[in-house]
Amino acid sequence: MYTSVTTLSLVGLKGREIRAEADMSEGLPVFEMVGFLGGEVKEARERVRTALKNSGFLLPPKRITVNLSPADIKKSGTSYDLAVAISLLKLLGIISEDAADDMVVIGELGLSGEILPVRGVLPMLIEAKQLGYDHCIVPFDNMAEASAVDGMDAVGVRSLKEVETYFDTGSAPKYEDTDTGRSSDRTYDVDFSEVNGQETVKRALEIAAAGMHNILLVGPPGSGKTMLAKRLPTILPDPDMDEILEVTKIYSVAGQLKEGQGLIYTRPFVAPHHTVSSAAMAGGGTIPRPGLCSLAHRGVLFLDELPEFSRSTLEILRQPMEDKEVNIARAAAGYTFPADFLLCAAMNPCKCGYFPDRSKCRCTDADVQKYLGRISGPLLDRIDICVEASRIEYKDINLKGESESSESIRKRVKRASEIQRMRYEGSGIRFNSDIGVRDIDRYCHLGKKEEQLMRDAFEKLGMSARAYHRMIRVARTIADLDGSDKIECSHLSEAVAFRNIDRRYWNG
Amino acid sequence: MDEIRYITRFEDDFPEKLRFIPNPPAGIYVKGRLPDPGKKTVSIVGARACSVYGRYMAEYFASHLAAAGVQIVSGLAKGIDGIAQRSAMEAGGVSFGILGSGVDVVYPVENRDLFEMAVTNGGLISEYPEGATPQKAYFAERNRLISGLSDILLVIEARYRSGTSITVHNALDQGRDIFAVPGRLTDGLSAGCNKLISDGAGMALCPDDILKALGLLSEDAVVTETGKRRKNTEKPGTVKRIRLSEKEKLVYGCLDLYPKNVDEIVRTLHIPVSHATETLTALCIKGAARECAKSNYIKVL
Repeated sequence: MYTSVTTLSLVGLKGREIRAEADMSEGLPVFEMVGFLGGEVKEARERVRTALKNSGFLLPPKRITVNLSPADIKKSGTSYDLAVAISLLKLLGIISEDAADDMVVIGELGLSGEILPVRGVLPMLIEAKQLGYDHCIVPFDNMAEASAVDGMDAVGVRSLKEVETYFDTGSAPKYEDTDTGRSSDRTYDVDFSEVNGQETVKRALEIAAAGMHNILLVGPPGSGKTMLAKRLPTILPDPDMDEILEVTKIYSVAGQLKEGQGLIYTRPFVAPHHTVSSAAMAGGGTIPRPGLCSLAHRGVLFLDELPEFSRSTLEILRQPMEDKEVNIARAAAGYTFPADFLLCAAMNPCKCGYFPDRSKCRCTDADVQKYLGRISGPLLDRIDICVEASRIEYKDINLKGESESSESIRKRVKRASEIQRMRYEGSGIRFNSDIGVRDIDRYCHLGKKEEQLMRDAFEKLGMSARAYHRMIRVARTIADLDGSDKIECSHLSEAVAFRNIDRRYWNG
Repeated sequence: MDEIRYITRFEDDFPEKLRFIPNPPAGIYVKGRLPDPGKKTVSIVGARACSVYGRYMAEYFASHLAAAGVQIVSGLAKGIDGIAQRSAMEAGGVSFGILGSGVDVVYPVENRDLFEMAVTNGGLISEYPEGATPQKAYFAERNRLISGLSDILLVIEARYRSGTSITVHNALDQGRDIFAVPGRLTDGLSAGCNKLISDGAGMALCPDDILKALGLLSEDAVVTETGKRRKNTEKPGTVKRIRLSEKEKLVYGCLDLYPKNVDEIVRTLHIPVSHATETLTALCIKGAARECAKSNYIKVL
């Protein structure tokens, strides 16, 4: 006698259909599992057997074989438990033979028969939907995530007993969708109105947010770089549904969704400490999980004290910043995680932190150069905007009620991002920072006067060719913020003022 | 040209000025030329870790003096020394580097190009043999040659007690005139200069003050009003006129020779950040301002 139930495994961010087959035959009593199983899947044998027993279903003393097919894919994780158990319930005749034939089953078992949440439910169900399934059984605690998949009828269960009841009577524990994040008014714990002064940095952050440009904040200790950067997410344009799903998938696979959390409606803000290893940044493990730069996908990766990060960690960022994804090669397979983030970095201008204020800073020019030299040129080349935070003066600390709120900045950013969305419809570009060099002339056409300005700036200010294109992209964003279709001289001038530091011209 | 010569104190070529200073060198190694005894010589010295103001003043004085035909002597060190010599040579003048190492040893290495420039546009002079590595004591000793070779010692920026004071003491012993560029009282880097002025050193308000003291400029040519005096020192034909719009004038007026952050300008003038940044870029392109560190600007006179 033979039964089978469909479940899914995770390969990177993609689900893959797996069939849990069970067979019972005469012979010595044994319960065996095969199918290229990893350690935690081999242990499923004990979990399933005990869970069945403690739920009141006794396995007969016969030869029982379970196979996870296709057998050439390495299985890992604990999400196959429930599929194996249901396959056995069918085998034992406890539920009908054709039960669960049109559904996918995901879940981990505890010894008592309870069903525990697993990671990666969202990407698995999205894959299942594409394969044509529209019913599923998932752990009750994963229901928030499961109900986010359009057109997928999810049943949430807490124990094997409830599974039996469901197949017997069709009644399942009721799940109330409490996911309130869908409403458009998002609230944040922090707000730009709490930061006084620093208008220049705020303006730079607004531009960075509107075009998703990478930004570098330079400034003396205590000037509020970190405080300002932490408020960057509050002015980012709202993510669209595709982006929300992409982000939630990553967090689901990484097992970082909070309990009861469905979709993630806000752009992520990831701020690793500077001791972070390169494996944590890129993603790692024998079966790789997404790293920090993928967790920052469609959001902000904030690196405070940039020069303190190890060189190898920073070098890791070069590929994702160029290709918008991370490739991790393992002997078994290659994994690709998306990693399209806004890099926001903060650093002191020199090792004491006060350059160019010579009353405090006694670093020589060479010292300053050396400090800057800790950041590799290629990384610096990928930063569009640079701004220095000034020292906070006492009167600014106690200034009241004059600072603009995040909400009002976000309105402008939103308008600029709408303009971009319309302009780039169907071109694969989302934000101005994504414009390739080839498309620059198409989207960022400069008039005669504007070209003359860029020529003057190029010659007089000693810019590099690479910086040139970055500046034009930033000018495009400034024009969008201004609601202007054409890039004017004033937009270009501001972009030039916010251009990235060029090592040669960093002097006292 | 690149040959290194050794000239003893008893040879005719030996600079007359060095022959009669206290503790004269037994001989000097020269790569390039020796200072022309028929021309006036000014030594420009100051702090190695100088401010933007100091950098600017060094460029200002050195280029104008060099253009007026004055030879500039200094130590080819980091900071004021190197900056002054670079701008002197870039202005078409000659400059001599007095070293605390052998004339074939480049120290500091980041000034390598400057050393090469000095060999063709002047010379390198040292009392230490070829291959001698730089040593602390050598630098203190060579300072007497810097002041010794000059008619006037000009101090651009110096802390209250610093290496520059050794040069000043030497200059006093050798009977050379001392001029100092004043600075703000609160500025540690100008404390040494301000003290010198209060002790009786000449106050260098513009290059003409030095030229006057050297006798290169007649008394009447100097008009007391600062703006007009400056015009005199600019070579005819090089006067650059920059047309500024009203907005640019406003922002330019807010700039200083000390670096100012965009934020300070925004606060002072109560204008939107976007106006300030675009105007500053326009000023930079026109050559009326310079970004000396990110988002920090100084004016260009």
